[in-house]
Amino acid sequence: MGGQGTSLRRYALTRLVLVIPMVFILLTFVFLLMRVAPGDPITSSLGGRVPPEVVDEIKHDLGFDKPLYVQYVDYLGDIARGDFGTTITDRRQLGEIIRVNGAATLELTFFAMIVALVVGVTFGLIAGRFRDTWLDVGGRMFGIVIYAMPVFFIGLMAQLFFGSYLGWLPTSDRASPITQATLETHTNIFTIDALIERDGDAFVDVVKHLILPAVTLGLVTAGVFIRLIRVNVIRTMKDDYVEAARARGIDERSVVYHHAFRNALVPVITIVGLTVALLLSGAVLTETTFNWPGIGHTLILYLQNRDYTAVQGIIVVFALVVVAASVVIDFVNAYIDPRIRY
Amino acid sequence: MASLVALSVVALGAGAGQSALGGSSQSGILVSGTSDSVTNVDPAGNYDFGSATLGYNLLEHLYDARNGSKIVPSLATNCSPAGNTRTWRCSIRKGVKFHDGSDLDSADVKFSFDRVIKINDPSGISSLLSNLKSVKTNGRYGVTFNLKAPQSTWRFILASGAGGIVPSGAYPANKLQANNQPQYGTGPFKLTKYTPGQQAVFERFDDYWGPKAKSEGLIMRYYSKSSTMKLALERGEIDMAFATFTPTELGSLGKAKGIRVYSGQGAVIRYLVMNVTREPFNNIAVRRAVAFMMPRQAIATRVYRGTVKPLYSMPPAGLPGHTDAFATLYGRVPSPAKAKKALQDAGVQTPFPIEVWWTPTHYGDASADEYAEMKRGLEKGGVFKVTLKSTEWAQYSDALGNQYNAFQLGWFPDYPDPENYLLSFYQPDNFTANGYENPKMTALLKQEQAANTEAKRLSVIRQIQALAAKDVPIIPYWQGNMIAVGRTNVRGIPTTLDAAFIMRFWKVSKS
Repeated sequence: MGGQGTSLRRYALTRLVLVIPMVFILLTFVFLLMRVAPGDPITSSLGGRVPPEVVDEIKHDLGFDKPLYVQYVDYLGDIARGDFGTTITDRRQLGEIIRVNGAATLELTFFAMIVALVVGVTFGLIAGRFRDTWLDVGGRMFGIVIYAMPVFFIGLMAQLFFGSYLGWLPTSDRASPITQATLETHTNIFTIDALIERDGDAFVDVVKHLILPAVTLGLVTAGVFIRLIRVNVIRTMKDDYVEAARARGIDERSVVYHHAFRNALVPVITIVGLTVALLLSGAVLTETTFNWPGIGHTLILYLQNRDYTAVQGIIVVFALVVVAASVVIDFVNAYIDPRIRY
Repeated sequence: MASLVALSVVALGAGAGQSALGGSSQSGILVSGTSDSVTNVDPAGNYDFGSATLGYNLLEHLYDARNGSKIVPSLATNCSPAGNTRTWRCSIRKGVKFHDGSDLDSADVKFSFDRVIKINDPSGISSLLSNLKSVKTNGRYGVTFNLKAPQSTWRFILASGAGGIVPSGAYPANKLQANNQPQYGTGPFKLTKYTPGQQAVFERFDDYWGPKAKSEGLIMRYYSKSSTMKLALERGEIDMAFATFTPTELGSLGKAKGIRVYSGQGAVIRYLVMNVTREPFNNIAVRRAVAFMMPRQAIATRVYRGTVKPLYSMPPAGLPGHTDAFATLYGRVPSPAKAKKALQDAGVQTPFPIEVWWTPTHYGDASADEYAEMKRGLEKGGVFKVTLKSTEWAQYSDALGNQYNAFQLGWFPDYPDPENYLLSFYQPDNFTANGYENPKMTALLKQEQAANTEAKRLSVIRQIQALAAKDVPIIPYWQGNMIAVGRTNVRGIPTTLDAAFIMRFWKVSKS
């Protein structure tokens, strides 16, 4: 037992040390990518309205005329100090963007994950349990279609049908203008803020605004779950312990629900972590479609303005989240399965 | 999980049957959407249309276009040249309060101008004050502006974004007030909450010195896509929207029930710049042939569905001194015969190959159609063989005349005067980098700036337009209308649509 504990500890340490070069390569990649891209933020934002000498003067003030390696060293130094900087175009602290817009993305992705799990697990279990029936075919087709369909297309259709045609749900933003103007924010997660404020109307309004974007983003992720869970259910239904349970005379319903399904869901735990990257990339498009002021939506706006500091900072945050998620998943995997050790 | 589903059902049920879903339903609070964005609320770092639209409701200037395109005294009661137009003396209005409760005086005016220059923000707003040498206070309510060179249009500079007056006690002198800090002005609305990229919330300023705002409050809602804004307007989540829908969306909104599209005189222009120092546009015959062929009406009708008008000079129609100089020289409709003759007289064979650049990421989704229509127009009658090329704005704005021989640009005025459409374009080393330089033009521009009477100034402005049409370094082709869309219960929108291009939300209300 002690030996196993030492091994897990060594694995965890090694895994954490490996994060350092991974993050370093990532930071370097982001830095170079932004510099290789044509144009610069000053010229882009001035839109050709001022003489070139003024543009040069401003570039000098902001250090964009320094040699690339000097900019790189400054950039790494700032990140090491935890200073992600201030955006060039609108002077926002990256910390504030992460706190305010990041909370919006967290809220969206959390509810999207719930939608993904509910839809993915339900359809996956049914398709696997009733293999090669019309339920299976229907479930598989649904999974493939929602996975293959671009997230902005699903979003647009949802907006038109549920928002414009039926008029049931709001088509954009996190809350109605009046709610957003009056809601006191504590966490920037509006559902929680509305609960803290004990404001029932605001809570209902916020949830209504959440439904379409969360379902849209959740459906895309659900496609992954449906296929994975279906395969796992089919495999576990053939496993020896399921056969043994049947042989012991346990009724089929109990075999399926208490033995097969429970074990088929174990790999989902690891997949949930891996879908963080999928959710974040999907969030960029979902947020843009629904005018959801999350960090992905913000990234697009800064990308359009070629705001080096903002784009660098946000991509680094995205990458760190994915790295952290993958490290956590590796730990969980190593804990569950002792074969995964160095 | 079950509780979440139940919650969703409750929420859905609550929404069904409500037309506005609680969106903008509170009467007295006007909610307006825009697809523009705000960079800085602080006027010292604010040189874009989205920030200016927010600022106009919050801040005031010594002169303002309060009721139309003509500027009138606002926080000043008068500004006059002292002797010549190199020195200007202003009397500051008494009894004006800032939103923070402090009183306006000459120290605030000096502070506001000095900090714009000192901060020299990357937005480039301080370039509007490049002719300002110093500001001096004369007592509590007097200010003197000393300029580097005479400028007859100094009042317009005072009315521009660079002249927004802020309280000296509430803003730092050498850096911008961050967007998450309190922002104060003397305007009809005070800003109570600003969430970047989401919304700006205002309430009526009860101590305002002029006529009070017609709405108790105002919420400006920011959208990244006009299609999302259109849906929100149709559903009543917002009461009105200003800037900017695509021509297709405007066509659809024009037919929508409960919505009205308003159009007024505009000030935005679009033009084609040619580099006069490089082949093939260093040949004036080629430039004139393009001017003969410019398909203005086709672009206005087919691409923009009448939301823009053909433009025949850089200053748009509606501004004083405007003349249809290009129509006089090249006609109002394209003429392949005249274009061919101009080319043949210069020994140029037709169809003559030219390359034209445009950008898909700065002037709206219609730019692709606009340049497809331009290509079709220029190729009519076998005059030109056009190759269209495009690149995204960040690269495009860096290249302009340095790399491109003919290219698309647009202009939104810093102040509503023809000078703003001439000075930046026809001076040597102008920002388009098209190499245009004509000593006669340079002299005329100086005369315009130094003119001591309005009649003389407008006369020079007409001469400049005639010379610009003759030299053809730039071909203006459309001016945009100012368009706003509102639900039928919104009142007052038409009163703010004019060539000043300012959305005066304090004149708009809903019933």
